[in-house]
Amino acid sequence: MKVKLWGTRGSIPSPGPETIRYGGNTSCVGVTLSDGSLLALDAGTGIRSLGLGLAAEPARLHILLTHLHLDHIQGLVFFAPAFRAQTEIVIWGPASPEASLRDRIARYISAPLSPVEVRELPCDVSFRHCPQTEWEIGSARISAASVAHRGPTLGYRIDDGDSSLAYIPDHEPALGADLDALEEDWISGLGLARDASLLIHDGQYADAEYPDHIGWGHSSLSHSLSFARRANAQRTVLFHHDPMHSDERLDQLGAEARERWVALGGAEGGIEMAIERSEYELPAHAASAASAS
Amino acid sequence: MTTQKPLELILARNLMSALSTPAFLVDEGGVLVFYNEAAGALLGKRFEELGTVGAEEWGSLFGPFDKDGEPIPYDELPLVVAVRNGRPAHADFEISSADGARHQVEVSAFPILTAHGSQGAIAVFWPAGSSNGAGS
Repeated sequence: MKVKLWGTRGSIPSPGPETIRYGGNTSCVGVTLSDGSLLALDAGTGIRSLGLGLAAEPARLHILLTHLHLDHIQGLVFFAPAFRAQTEIVIWGPASPEASLRDRIARYISAPLSPVEVRELPCDVSFRHCPQTEWEIGSARISAASVAHRGPTLGYRIDDGDSSLAYIPDHEPALGADLDALEEDWISGLGLARDASLLIHDGQYADAEYPDHIGWGHSSLSHSLSFARRANAQRTVLFHHDPMHSDERLDQLGAEARERWVALGGAEGGIEMAIERSEYELPAHAASAASAS
Repeated sequence: MTTQKPLELILARNLMSALSTPAFLVDEGGVLVFYNEAAGALLGKRFEELGTVGAEEWGSLFGPFDKDGEPIPYDELPLVVAVRNGRPAHADFEISSADGARHQVEVSAFPILTAHGSQGAIAVFWPAGSSNGAGS
């Protein structure tokens, strides 16, 4: 399984000289399974670049949305494969008692917010609510579970051969909870992340910033570290950077994360800050940890 | 992969942990999966000492008794009505705590309904005559 980070930013695109190293595009992760199947995890502005890199040939791909906040869907109408008749796109997302996935996404892909409507997309697009039980896409088994954020929100786990990727970009598991004391099954998202080869997890706030953002649906650095430690993931990538965090600030937070991770008993290199366009290769047959480039 | 409790139960437990109102939480099968510190004070036993209790077993933990002192059938408890029938329920009754003391309480229970159906129910206990329900 190959994983590429196309957008690592949370909340709003943050381009500019101060974010050029970690990137300014919002959430999108491209995944190529061992059988060649293509997945996109979320469709923030990063998916535009993912789409530009795909060949203009018949293709089937799956977009797995964690939730429908704008920073996770804004790239949909700029995703080049959606404008090719030969492309089949399956969009997965959380169910809601209020409206279907298609109707909720159509609120964005419609006037006055968008120049095109869902029905006008040339591609063959379909919308599916994620099942509560595991399902298969290509060579992978996919699991989804509701996680603590604002509104219906999912985290995903992708198992392909012996490798596993857990993706929980928007997550506040410590809201009203002590992550160090709770039983495992009472921690939001932990079942998805348990022993994952690679965990991509919310790392939006520094500890000092969190008190002003309690209940906003994101983690402090301490929460991310506690969650990753409880999950026992081989490698953790802190993702969904706050738009106010410059490269320099993310360098500082990354250094603090690594130092505290080792102090908690974690392995050197076991935690890092997400960098746009970083790639990870998760071997189908384990024994070795994820490698990055 | 391990499984987590339904998110709605996790969030309910987190909220209940922060309340000073006695509150109880059962899952969709009626198993008592949590009660908070205020409820523990009322019963005379902390949840951590007890752990989860199976459906049809937890009712006997605290009585309960009607105004004539007769035990109330499990099926008629508000929490059971809420989780089985998917509707709110309310009752007044007397409970006994671990030290044998009797407490008159009002109980309101409501189901936790989600896009995937019922996930359980919550019951809040209000000491009779209390204006804020806190403590016992």
